Amino acid sequence: MTEALRDKAAIVGIGTSRFGRHLPESQLALAAAAFKAALDDAGLERGDIDSLSIHIGWPLGVDYDQVAQAFGLEIGFVNQAWTHGRFVTGSLQTAAMAVACGMAEVVACVNVLSFTRERDILGGPHDFEGYRETGGTHAETPHYGLTAPAGGAALAMQRYMALYGTTSAELAAVPVALRAHARLNPKAVMQEPMSIADHQASRMVVDPLRLFDCCIVSDGAAVVLVTSAERARDLRQRPVYVAGMQGMKAGRDEFIFAPPGLGINQQSGVRAARPAARDLAVYGWADIPREAIQGLYTYDAFSPLVLFVLERFGFCAPGEAAAWVQDGCIGPGGALPVNTSGGLLSEAHVAGWNSLCEMVRQLRGEAGPRQIADARALQWATAWGDSVILRK
Amino acid sequence: MSGYEKPTPRINPDNARFWESAHEGVLRLPRCKACRAWHWPPGPVCPDCFSDRIGWEEASGHGTVSTWTVVHKDWFPAFKADIPYAVAQIELAEGVCVTANIVDCPADELRVGLPVEVVFDRVTDTLTLPRFRPRRG
Repeated sequence: MTEALRDKAAIVGIGTSRFGRHLPESQLALAAAAFKAALDDAGLERGDIDSLSIHIGWPLGVDYDQVAQAFGLEIGFVNQAWTHGRFVTGSLQTAAMAVACGMAEVVACVNVLSFTRERDILGGPHDFEGYRETGGTHAETPHYGLTAPAGGAALAMQRYMALYGTTSAELAAVPVALRAHARLNPKAVMQEPMSIADHQASRMVVDPLRLFDCCIVSDGAAVVLVTSAERARDLRQRPVYVAGMQGMKAGRDEFIFAPPGLGINQQSGVRAARPAARDLAVYGWADIPREAIQGLYTYDAFSPLVLFVLERFGFCAPGEAAAWVQDGCIGPGGALPVNTSGGLLSEAHVAGWNSLCEMVRQLRGEAGPRQIADARALQWATAWGDSVILRK
Repeated sequence: MSGYEKPTPRINPDNARFWESAHEGVLRLPRCKACRAWHWPPGPVCPDCFSDRIGWEEASGHGTVSTWTVVHKDWFPAFKADIPYAVAQIELAEGVCVTANIVDCPADELRVGLPVEVVFDRVTDTLTLPRFRPRRG
């Protein structure tokens, strides 16, 4: 059934604001800059936008009603997710499904984060979601002093290290590779070189995560315009097609920042030797095998998430990712480049939409010194199991 | 409550029995009366058999560390004086996993698999926090 939606939706425009820290613009102002850039990229007018898919709402970002009112839009379909990075994939998928089924004509995925203005949301007394009675969404337990998404990533990586003998210096290969990508991207916030020694010298935040294992806290906006394949063929840019998709996983054997079965929260502690078919459905939907994926893009809020997504999608076996990422494998020119614009770790934290824009640039052949040769099929995938394959 | 500035847990109808029991010095966990499975966190139904018949039974208070971290960043002003402090997940003998501080344990002795036992820390007149320490004897 899913094959019926293969290549039915396309990304036809991308736009970003400037990225930086302590930017003076409001969230709406950053979103407006990205929105105008995306319309210009696509050759569309604002009156062509009839739908919104909002990933991150107020206060970190903007809500759908603010966007429609402030930008003078006439909107007839809205999706807005819970203010969490984890809903990046679903926000894009909902846009693709809406245009594929005819519910929407052109969906603007509007994404803005002003982390430097709203950093209280990242842990501490004002992170109200951390107080959830059944535990915070990243295992926060404020009454024991465990807070912030970083805490959950630390719990997962600590157990992973104990099970597989992985060291912090091996984990360093992830942020070091992403920094190398960022240095080929003038828009990236982080431009200083990073070595493994630099990583090892960075301060411990929440053991075993060091400062350089944690994404940057930045401000910026990105807009992605999605329409049907038919409409896309008449627009300014060569369409980038949504070839395949699969959804987020949840259940007792899942934890947002760990592979299935690692043993965090109520996870069983039993890891399968290889992914189940349901965990690889995206390749069948797209009719593009994993071996044909030329670049992987992921939500790299913390460096362990890159290891976990590689194992989750079977690029390597459980426990092997740390060895797999050594020696430039995921860096510029590597066997599987990851987050070629620098990701959340080094470009900017636009909740992954900066990386989705980069995928589109790559598939159009517009990535300059970062260009993956003859890029035809790229995969967005997360440690929590959802994915989108884009093709040109 | 005077003087206690750290965050306190939100107590609701599903988890109130846990906190009442802890204040009495008892680690009591939800257990299904139908299929006899323990579960965590507390909820309205058994996640194993979906029964509504949830009881609360005293647990052994023994377990092993399944993962841990040491917090070095002062996210909470009220925890600043405690830095660095340890938070762990403990797989209890009953098979469920809970999150709590590890106390009375040097940082270099923290490890996955460390046997621990519960201790009760009465932090206010109405709140007692279960924590865990390396098992003795």
